[in-house]
Amino acid sequence: MRELPFQTILIANRGEIAVRIIKTLRGLGLRSAIVYHDADAGTPAVAMADTAIAISGRTPIAAYLDIPQIIAAAHKASADALHPGYGFLSENAEFARAVTKAGIAFIGPAPESIELMGDKIRARNFVQRNGFPVAPSAIEEDDPATFTFRARTVGVPLLVKPSAGGGGKGMRIVRDLANLEDAIAQARSEAQRYFGDGRLYIERYVENPRHIEVQVLGDSFGNLVHLFERECSVQRRFQKVIEEAPSPALSGTLQRRICEAAAGIARAAKYQNAGTVEFIYGGGEFYFLEMNTRLQVEHSVTEVITGIDLVAQQIYVAAGRELGFSQSDIISKGHAIEARLYAEAPERGYVPTTGKVLVLEYPDGDGIRIDSGIVQGQQITTAFDPMLAKIIVHSPTRIEAALKAHRAMRELVLLGCETNAHFLTRILRDEAFLSGHVHTGYLEENPHIASGEPESDVSDFLATAALLTRPVRDSADAVPELHAALGSWRN
Amino acid sequence: MQRIASTVDVKSHEFRLNQLHNRRLAAELKERQRTVRFNRAERELERLRRQNKLFVRDRIEALLDPETPFLELSTLAANKAYDGEVPGAAQVVGIGIVAGHEVIVHADDASVKSGAWYPLSVKKIVRALDIAIENRLPVVHLCDCAGGFLPLQAEFFADRYYAGRIFRNQSILSKMGVPQVAIAMGHCTAGGAYVPALSDYNIIVEGTGAIFLGGPPVVKAATGETVSVEELGGAHMHTSVSGTSDYFAHSEMHAIAIARDIVAGFNPATKASINRVAPEPPAYDASELYGILPRDPRVQFDMREIIARLVDGSRFHEYQPRYGESLVCGFARLYGYQMGLIANNGALFSDSALKGAHFIQLCDKNRTPLLFLQNITGFMVGREYERRGITKDGAKLIMAVSGASVPKFTVICNRSHGAGTFAMAGRAFDSRFMFSWPQSQISAMGAEQAAGVLTHVKARQLARAGGRLSEQDLAAIREPIVEEYRERSSAYYATSEIWDDGILDPVDTRNALAIVLSASLNTPIEAPRYGVFRM
Amino acid sequence: MNHSFEVDGVAYQLSLSRCQQGYRLRLSNEVIAPIAFSQQSQGRGVLTIAGESEPVRFAIDGDVIHVHIRGRTRILHYRDPLRTLACANNKLHHLIARAPMPGLVVTTSVSPGQAVSAGTPLMKIESMKLETIIRSPRDGVIDRIHFNEGESFEQDAVLVTLSEEGR
Repeated sequence: MRELPFQTILIANRGEIAVRIIKTLRGLGLRSAIVYHDADAGTPAVAMADTAIAISGRTPIAAYLDIPQIIAAAHKASADALHPGYGFLSENAEFARAVTKAGIAFIGPAPESIELMGDKIRARNFVQRNGFPVAPSAIEEDDPATFTFRARTVGVPLLVKPSAGGGGKGMRIVRDLANLEDAIAQARSEAQRYFGDGRLYIERYVENPRHIEVQVLGDSFGNLVHLFERECSVQRRFQKVIEEAPSPALSGTLQRRICEAAAGIARAAKYQNAGTVEFIYGGGEFYFLEMNTRLQVEHSVTEVITGIDLVAQQIYVAAGRELGFSQSDIISKGHAIEARLYAEAPERGYVPTTGKVLVLEYPDGDGIRIDSGIVQGQQITTAFDPMLAKIIVHSPTRIEAALKAHRAMRELVLLGCETNAHFLTRILRDEAFLSGHVHTGYLEENPHIASGEPESDVSDFLATAALLTRPVRDSADAVPELHAALGSWRN
Repeated sequence: MQRIASTVDVKSHEFRLNQLHNRRLAAELKERQRTVRFNRAERELERLRRQNKLFVRDRIEALLDPETPFLELSTLAANKAYDGEVPGAAQVVGIGIVAGHEVIVHADDASVKSGAWYPLSVKKIVRALDIAIENRLPVVHLCDCAGGFLPLQAEFFADRYYAGRIFRNQSILSKMGVPQVAIAMGHCTAGGAYVPALSDYNIIVEGTGAIFLGGPPVVKAATGETVSVEELGGAHMHTSVSGTSDYFAHSEMHAIAIARDIVAGFNPATKASINRVAPEPPAYDASELYGILPRDPRVQFDMREIIARLVDGSRFHEYQPRYGESLVCGFARLYGYQMGLIANNGALFSDSALKGAHFIQLCDKNRTPLLFLQNITGFMVGREYERRGITKDGAKLIMAVSGASVPKFTVICNRSHGAGTFAMAGRAFDSRFMFSWPQSQISAMGAEQAAGVLTHVKARQLARAGGRLSEQDLAAIREPIVEEYRERSSAYYATSEIWDDGILDPVDTRNALAIVLSASLNTPIEAPRYGVFRM
Repeated sequence: MNHSFEVDGVAYQLSLSRCQQGYRLRLSNEVIAPIAFSQQSQGRGVLTIAGESEPVRFAIDGDVIHVHIRGRTRILHYRDPLRTLACANNKLHHLIARAPMPGLVVTTSVSPGQAVSAGTPLMKIESMKLETIIRSPRDGVIDRIHFNEGESFEQDAVLVTLSEEGR
């Protein structure tokens, strides 16, 4: 196989995904460069990269969204390719163009694909036109004046979504049409702020829907394969919490249909590089939701069941190589579950938490993969997304995977910043989850999973804390032996 | 050390009857103590709540280290005085542990006559501070006192051991380097103002605490000036203007937390080193004491049976077991500390007095604290005994008791009469601590004997005036005399007058002694030094 | 006087004392004894309660103790009685607007010197993908705004200080 045309790849991202990409680059013998904001100076990605270039911004997030600075950094690092990771500029066509224009290979789809799929309405129309299923909807820009009226005709429950963006930001469920206008106003304000684009659309909200998505991979030779589905139904406020592959909801036929639909959509879009086609599945039907034109957070479960390194494939495709396998070569083996470790407190309404990582110890063992973006000593702030790490397990069956994931989450030790680790163990031993009966409203319907039992079993912790707190222990030790032996004697 | 082999038959009828009697006495004691501690008119408690003040018992519990003992002293002070209306003499005093330090807690009880000082209150405070001086115990004062009870001022103001002694003792403690912390939790008026002022550290509670020589009414009367409590002596003024108080507290609990923090910083007590091993519980159950103490105080019992239920492993090394047998002397351990025990098994004779004097010097020489267990009707009288020098030998014992440098402790187990009271380390002989058991009696003579004498005197007076007295008349004279004499020689009367440091339920004696013994070791034990023994 | 720890916003009163085989822990509704803790290495130890041992991971950060036992991590705040009791009736806290949760400042709608009444919006903050309005806790005058737009802050951070001037 001929040598890759790249030597240095700039990672325009941070956290666990930056670490994840660096690992593959190392495996491929490529140099890694990374941009970082000062707030990330102590993170492992910065430490691991061969070159790290500081960038700045009005806010830390703004720095990672600053296209000219990032391109300048790429030049400075003599990077010949750029990997955008997920989030930030990963689905920004303008960025992809600017990168290409700067003579740097963009590791991702063509800007046109990003544009097509990045505009939810265009994407939806495209999918519908090509004969794939979409949910009933109302699109604002079709006729802004009648948007609210058309929204009403879709009927409740419905979902208000920004045309731009994703990741659940700005989405709102409306169950009572009386609340429709408020929801539209709020969604618009958030959409405007997050994506600089206040356009919205509305679609039928499938009750108890399951979120099933299919990984696809295409090259510049027109080859396009799917790498099976992932189920991401365990969500809180549209944020995925636990993902798995394969989906426990699909029969063989249905699995084939949904995977083939995804591949068909991508093929129709002449899609190159890695992408994900997301579906809503409920009542035996599935609808196209959106396509993410980038690597997903949860790509790791697909990697685990297929044994394919998706980051490496992305680089090969960007380097102009043809896929080294056909659809029939891709075999799904066993079951993978990913649990996302967040700096947040599910017990208190998922408020983000902060702190310094004082102790960090990951579980290890066969079939356990950790994609971590943090190290001991690091400060966790609210400057970025609260995801700290992913714990991915692989076992022959789903139930074994769930047990392994549960054990792994119990063994994980992160002290200094409150996390959702115990919440994840609660999901992993919950009966509904274990039986596979989950949907995107599962956590809302089972609030006890999030709230936990706050006061249960505190005494062991109090005992430990008491014995470790100097004023408490000192005051116990200060009591003379005789008087300690007499206890609270009174005459 | 040999274990005492008890010969008590715990299944005997006698034992059961005694047990019934003494358990009743113990229950009565507990009930009286409970009443004195907690029975308050609802309006008094309501007033405290309104003033945002804690009840004195709650203040003390908050001050003390959790799960540590508190030995309350003179709980029943004033129980036979002032028509019983001033429980505990409106004072709570005891030894407790604060931030790991053994301290004297002295608290005014504002739920009794607003914490006013009665004559016995003053006596109780002076005694508390004497204990602090003798045992070098830091003091925490919880001040909440309306001032002296003026109608009785003649009984607490001017004399040597009256109110001035409180402040003198505070000054002496400071001079000795024994620290005091005071919390002004209520008004500290007139003399009471000096308690915080003379403490090395004092804390004043915002809103409720105030310190002044004369309160607003006194100021108004004296100078015509109208001034508020807060302006005159409140927390803000004293901590920022006058410097009378050191620490400003937002609440009583805050003040207590500050006090604990201050005490935590005190130097640890340097304990006098005495022979000590690991503690061991007695081999016999302390509750058997109830069955051993005779219900008739005139009945003799073997003090070794008492010792067996007080000391470690019931082990007792008896000294001179074959000589002067009416005074049992020997070594035993209490919570591991070696002590010299001197206990009465009958009246004192010349040989027992000599044995006691000798044993005291022995203990003094080898730094062994002394425990006196009293059941003494007096020295033997009569021509033969005087000729053998009973007075001279008694003087030796008193000389030894007075001169001993080691700490002494006294428990009146049953009776304490005549010169025996003195020779067995009575109150006047500076025992560090003195406790009584509920049925004990203390008087110059036993009640029957004294009543005989008094009746005889009265009868003679009446006879001189003419008439002869029938047996009936004599009985009529005798009855009230015996009654009053009994009353005034009872443990309750003694403790009311603070002749002791409190009545103990016999089963509590071991723990109480351990606490006071430990406290006593804060003071270095000086080398033995005596006066002239009449030989 | 008892010690106090706060766990998940709940205050627990406890006292610790020595007993024969270690320590005795008294909680409001139970006594646990004997307990012992042996530290094995930095941040690692074994808690023994009545003879049963449990491995423990811990980290101490000032008055905050992070403890991990049986897959569960709890954060325990030691509440120093001196500080807690001193603050108990500190009236100053009415003059500050605190962050109810960590987040970042989206917009600030007041400026120093401006008179505000109770309920006036002071700041819009963003946390958990949702915007929250921070309102004035009382009437007063804006004294200081502690964070610029775009800056992030921790829970309980003082966002805006008010003064009573001009009232």
